Amino acid sequence: MDSHYEVEFTVRGDDFLAAGEASNQIKETLIMLGVPSAISRRASVITYEAEMNLVIHSGGGTLRAVITPEKLTIQATDRGPGIPDLHLAMREGFSTAPDRVREMGFGAGMGLPNIKRNSDNLEIESEVGKGTTLTATILFHEGPGDRR
Amino acid sequence: METGIKIIEGSCKGCVNCIKSCPTEALRVVDGKVRILSDLCIDCGECLRSCREKALALDEDDWDLIRSHGPATLMADPTFCAQFSHYWTPGLVRKALASLGIKDLFDETARAFDLAAFATARQIEEASKESLPLISIYCPAVVRLIQVRFPELLHRLVETETPLETGTLLWRKETGSDEGVILVTPCSAKVMLVRGPVGREKSTMGHVVSVKRLARDLLAAGPKVDGAALDPVGSRWLAWALRGGESRHIKAFSKKNITTMAVSGLRNTIDLLQDLELGRLKGVDFVECRVCDLGCIGGIGNAESRFLSELRLSRQPIEWVATEREKADLADLYETGIWKLEQPIQPRPRPSLADTLDEAMKKLKTMQAVYAELPHIDCGACGRPSCRALAEDVVRGEGEITDCVFKLRERISVLGEEITALSGKLPHAFHERKHAK
Ligand SMILES: Nc1ncnc2c1ncn2[C@@H]1O[C@H](COP(=O)(O)OP(=O)(O)O)[C@@H](O)[C@H]1O
Ligand code: SF4
Ligand code: SF4
Ligand SMILES: [Mg+2]
Repeated sequence: MDSHYEVEFTVRGDDFLAAGEASNQIKETLIMLGVPSAISRRASVITYEAEMNLVIHSGGGTLRAVITPEKLTIQATDRGPGIPDLHLAMREGFSTAPDRVREMGFGAGMGLPNIKRNSDNLEIESEVGKGTTLTATILFHEGPGDRR
Repeated sequence: METGIKIIEGSCKGCVNCIKSCPTEALRVVDGKVRILSDLCIDCGECLRSCREKALALDEDDWDLIRSHGPATLMADPTFCAQFSHYWTPGLVRKALASLGIKDLFDETARAFDLAAFATARQIEEASKESLPLISIYCPAVVRLIQVRFPELLHRLVETETPLETGTLLWRKETGSDEGVILVTPCSAKVMLVRGPVGREKSTMGHVVSVKRLARDLLAAGPKVDGAALDPVGSRWLAWALRGGESRHIKAFSKKNITTMAVSGLRNTIDLLQDLELGRLKGVDFVECRVCDLGCIGGIGNAESRFLSELRLSRQPIEWVATEREKADLADLYETGIWKLEQPIQPRPRPSLADTLDEAMKKLKTMQAVYAELPHIDCGACGRPSCRALAEDVVRGEGEITDCVFKLRERISVLGEEITALSGKLPHAFHERKHAK
């Protein structure tokens, strides 16, 4: 049997009440598996920010976590509007979140930069009008955890 | 591992009311009696509030027995001084206690709380920007919660020992006494300061009794004390009984302007720690969390209504500016390092399902399969707080799927059908006789 574990959650767009639930459950899963806390902390940041982006910007999608003995892969997929300028979107402080979202305390433009900082590898494929797929990887044996 | 909570088995009816009150799902009902999974318990006391049978209690020492051994010396929690309408300042409480032959350590306590605030103010000033906010260690339930659920935040805990311990240490150092000291606790969490402290090997306080128990004795005796001659006991420490008091104290001793945040209640504490974990508290320097409503006056081991305590505390005249003499004393004490935790606080994660990732993944899959078979209504009849918890207990070898009443009924009905089918089958000998007729 090839050794891997997978969880997948549907994240609804604009559902701010449920926001954070998927990332919480992924964190619980990692703890059950005995993944070291330095790694689950980085994973928490990635899953939470990716989940929030699904909620705020994409109209909803899926959040998936795949664990193998070597690595943890977190993938957020949506069929939303896509990101026209990836380079710009990665910049700290850049955000297109509407005012109504900012009033709730979201949309500081730190999500993607924080995801980048906490992953060992990050790939974003996005096409305007088609959607976005974000794939972040954390390696388990990449020396002691915190890369901040 | 120990907890600050005692189970009174004879009183437990196995009603399972308590199991859902636990924020870390540490309670089970097995064979009709409640059990605590001490790995998960944070001593918050929520279950005590939820049990109508009083089958869960603070694990305190027997006050009458302690009294029978002679004079007693108390390290009283600040909430103790907010319990009485007649004795409404530490000076008056001191006199009332003295009339019963009980000694207090209020002076040392006042100095220790000053010292804790002073030392914490220094740590905040010296911390790098990324390591802020620092988190208070004053509520032991919060410390345990962080150890169990938020180990990523451990490095933010201040290195300040609880002033209740430091006060006792100060007194011992200055008097050379090795007499027993009794902690007067407002809660199950602080029971653990004596029974199993975090951040030090062993407490120098030998016993622990609840505020409620002592207040009851004092009220029953009702000694008359003279209100005119107030002892000049400092009162800043009393503020710690209320949410925000510690923060206020630290601010008073800070050289620069600091931003603090204080929340009380379990739900608020968890929400705030979650925000903090996700890095959403930029610009905050210090975070004070108390799991009890309104702060320690809301602790389950108090006698007085928390609302009256709050009112009384809000009327205490508090001098926030330390005198020159107090300041000099603090600077000296700070240098001695007596205020410091002995050891770093370690994570205490829930044990994983298995030792290797590979095994754990297999078990987690089994757990999902077990969970999928359950009805997902979290009815509690299996003695677990949720269907998910039962599935986990099953793969950990601590339960059976038939602990679920619905699964049990299914099995029985399958069994019943088999029995009916079997009973319809006649032995061959009878068949032949039928034919013979
Ligand atoms: N899944 C997505 N679909 C469409 N646009 C996105 C998505 N994720 C991010 N973006 C764009 O990238 C910007 C930056 O994202 P982020 O750094 O997370 O900041 P924030 O979410 O606070 O706006 C967003 O404002 C949005 O324009
Ligand atoms: S609430 Fe819990 S401890 Fe109290 S009687 Fe019911 S099962 Fe027992
Ligand atoms: S808030 Fe105070 S009384 Fe309540 S558990 Fe924490 S330390 Fe005890
Ligand atoms: Mg974002």
